[in-house]
Amino acid sequence: MYRYDEFDARIVSERVAQFRGQVNRRLSGELLEDEFKPLRLQNGVYLQLHAYMLRVAIPYGQLNGRQLRRLAVIARDYDRGYGHFTTRQNIQFNWVALKDIPDVLESLAEVEMHAIQTSGNCIRNTTSDHFAGAAKDEIMDPRPWCEIIRQWSTFHPEFAFLPRKFKIAVTGAEHDRAAIRVHDIGLHMRQRGDVVGFEVHVGGGQGRTPHLAALVNEFVPETELLDYLEAIMRVYNRFGRRDNKYKARIKILVSEIGAEEFRRLVSEEYAAQREHEKIALPPEEIARIHAYFAPPELTPASGPDAAFEALKAEDKEFARWARINLHPHKVEGHASVTISLKPVGGAAGDATDAQMMTVAHLAETYAHDDIRVSHAQNLVLPHVALKDLPAIYRELKAAGIATANESLITDMIVCPGLDYCNLANARSIPVGQAVQEVFADPDYQEDIGRLHINISGCINACGHHHVGHIGILGVDRKGEEFYQITLGGRADEKAAIGDIAGPGLKADDVPGALKRVVDTYRDLRTDKSELFIETLARLGHDPFKEALYAAD
Amino acid sequence: MTSVRPKLKPETPKAVTAWETATGQTVWMAADGSWTKEVGQIAAFTGDEAEARLADALKQEGVVTDPYFMEVTESGGITGRETLRETIRANGPTVAYGESA
Repeated sequence: MYRYDEFDARIVSERVAQFRGQVNRRLSGELLEDEFKPLRLQNGVYLQLHAYMLRVAIPYGQLNGRQLRRLAVIARDYDRGYGHFTTRQNIQFNWVALKDIPDVLESLAEVEMHAIQTSGNCIRNTTSDHFAGAAKDEIMDPRPWCEIIRQWSTFHPEFAFLPRKFKIAVTGAEHDRAAIRVHDIGLHMRQRGDVVGFEVHVGGGQGRTPHLAALVNEFVPETELLDYLEAIMRVYNRFGRRDNKYKARIKILVSEIGAEEFRRLVSEEYAAQREHEKIALPPEEIARIHAYFAPPELTPASGPDAAFEALKAEDKEFARWARINLHPHKVEGHASVTISLKPVGGAAGDATDAQMMTVAHLAETYAHDDIRVSHAQNLVLPHVALKDLPAIYRELKAAGIATANESLITDMIVCPGLDYCNLANARSIPVGQAVQEVFADPDYQEDIGRLHINISGCINACGHHHVGHIGILGVDRKGEEFYQITLGGRADEKAAIGDIAGPGLKADDVPGALKRVVDTYRDLRTDKSELFIETLARLGHDPFKEALYAAD
Repeated sequence: MTSVRPKLKPETPKAVTAWETATGQTVWMAADGSWTKEVGQIAAFTGDEAEARLADALKQEGVVTDPYFMEVTESGGITGRETLRETIRANGPTVAYGESA
């Protein structure tokens, strides 16, 4: 993984010192909240319902054991013993006192972490495939490019005050696990002959006006990527609306002027830039960054591992976990392990300090000191030998994080909702828990197969409800929580925005209604290999809407 | 600056609530004008007095952040359209968290 050089270390520590001064001036009353707010947001500090929240950047979701241990210590010493992993592959601490935040940031800087650009109208954490560098279906590792984008976009003076926040995602596999079509810019790595390049999608996003990104360029060679991104950012910075917060994202610009005109503006800017001030990333610099992401030295196994196979035969729970939570690895005899943070009855994405310590220990002992955060709010050990899985499973089980549900119906994306968030209209976590309860039976879940339920507590869509196979949106009606259901969304290479099924439901009615929808799918699917989303596409939404609103 | 919350009529009993600047914890104004973290100490104000109390809160920038009116009963109990939100601000999340989850 990338390691800070002296410049990185210096700018992060200078930023901590600067913020410490700003916090002191806020606490003395010298800075008013209106003056302080943009400063705190630039350092990842929000003021939520009942506390400050600190959002710490985890670049493209990659961590090492030392960093995760430090997050655990911060959770223990400055928070209430837990942290919340987010859909931007970051972590949030919910209860940190403002007066302590400079110390927390100083502690993070010691392990090459920070909270810079995790909020505000700037380029946020670039996200990626959580199996990057490991997945069998990967064509190219996107992480070096995420790092190059991180270095280019961090403190970029031209893009510090964009019309609105800006999110970039990169994937290097055919199967999109990074939801690139619902990002401001989504990059899909491609190869033409010997040249590596990027398919560029622009103007996707969720929130109150969801859009899928438009294909703006089929192939931008890697040496020109930053120039092209800069051209996009300049067009957005110039033409993006600043008069209306709700129309300020690049998706609105692309939609209002049309993809064709947007493409023309970018080409024009790009041509001018190439002539006068091109970045033209040198191949040696590209190679230098790639060297940080060299794959670990793994020895391919010559056949099945006896211990792994034996435990599968003898322990049904282990066999189920291995069936569901392992992802095929490039190297024979290895797998990527999903550590589910979605136990039935828990809060999606939450991990206690002790659980973080366990995962850090496992990564250091068995998994080449590499940990990922997925945008679905789980943790991943990307490089694990099958022979080590029994030992890993035992420790995960003891720590309460061996739930076998990766991509199953109980593996939901859930925003913090009204239990934490100052913007939310309704609670998300309890609704998610109630839905989990009705699908809790492991055999039932496995029979249902891959089905993504995503829940947001307001129209800002932090819980990605628009792209859930089933989406749940919490709304407030005169002080009462209601939940609107959407059907048919998906975040992968066949990305789609879900359709609203009909009137909102009361919280108590949601689990039963979803059970009827899912059981309708089980009745109507051709066989178990046809996923919910495929049956929905084949038959249309009507039978499912009927089930949703049928009386119990 | 105050949080944008539903408007309350002058005669509606209301409390002044805010976030303690140093910690972010929820605070309410007590009858004597001091800040309290005890729900039982929430004071209800109406009319001009309420406006004066909020104006006073707005001057205490280093101590509290974003003060605003929330609806309460005459005895200071949380009520009205934002009961759920204000109850969560007072008591914390409605779900277990951390070790107790």
